[in-house]
Amino acid sequence: MTKRLETNDLWHIGGKTLSSRLLIGSALYPSPANMEDAIKISGSQIVTVSLRRQAAGNTDSKGGNQFWDIIKSMGIEVLPNTAGSHSAKEAITTAMMAREVFGTNWVKLEVIGDQYNLQPDPFETVKAAEVLIKEGFEVFPYTTDDLVVAKRLADVGCNIIMPWGSMIGSGKGLMNPDNLVAIRKQFPDLQLVVDAGIGKPSHATQAMELGYDGVLLNSAIALAQDPVKMADAFRVAVEAGRLGYEAGVMQKREFASPSTPTIGTPFWHQFD
Amino acid sequence: MIQVSVNGEMKVLAEGLNVSQMIEALAYKTKGFAVAVNTTFVSIQTYEKTIINNGDTIDILAPVQGG
Repeated sequence: MTKRLETNDLWHIGGKTLSSRLLIGSALYPSPANMEDAIKISGSQIVTVSLRRQAAGNTDSKGGNQFWDIIKSMGIEVLPNTAGSHSAKEAITTAMMAREVFGTNWVKLEVIGDQYNLQPDPFETVKAAEVLIKEGFEVFPYTTDDLVVAKRLADVGCNIIMPWGSMIGSGKGLMNPDNLVAIRKQFPDLQLVVDAGIGKPSHATQAMELGYDGVLLNSAIALAQDPVKMADAFRVAVEAGRLGYEAGVMQKREFASPSTPTIGTPFWHQFD
Repeated sequence: MIQVSVNGEMKVLAEGLNVSQMIEALAYKTKGFAVAVNTTFVSIQTYEKTIINNGDTIDILAPVQGG
């Protein structure tokens, strides 16, 4: 019997070699324990984190930071974001602070240009990316599905580009799959990750089937009725999409084509 | 004495404190945070030589959940 195939291809991203192509956020879970369980079962090896103002003495009973202690104990890669930044200057400062706190040169670059739909500001994002790359960061820029912005990010040295599926936290899935395909075709050698807007496992599968290298999501898991089960669902969905992409999706046809052999069809007759 | 903004709250500090002394004066007990003064990052290596001035805006950030 043929052994079941698995996507055991390794993923080289940001100087690391990983087996999971699912990047997962650490926010919005019902509890820290639920977050930990969800991350574990998702199989993800990259978790996004952030920085916020700390009140003096704002620590747990052991004098530490419970959230950060949990993440550290899991032995996975952390991807700090610059969420909340509205200019290149703010994002650059946040990235440098994150590098010191988290001990990584990875940064998920987010510069928001519109408070209503949280659309990234492409001009400030490119400006910040250029500076951060010169400062030795591995920049994971969150951007729209605009091909020209992706080109500008590549021009300043981004090895990774993360176009949105749709608005952050919307769960609407891939608004413009054709745009995502255009970016994939233009940049076959860059690492492309669909970031934001994923609402259900099939959206993640679709992104992977398009040839994207990874999927980053948070709300779809954390806000599910059962985040741990949903994390497992996304693990399978990303794997399914990757396998489908590797296997090569059939070409669409304009007309029907029977799959059952027509030779020997009983009671055969010609349609009028 | 000088007046500064720390994480959005006005605080009164002694004059001439460096960042290390400011952190101690503000009773930040743990490590694992990073500091910016007037939206510019101040690395741990430069805490001692970075003097806090009247009217400075200070941000002290620590790890939290993120998406």
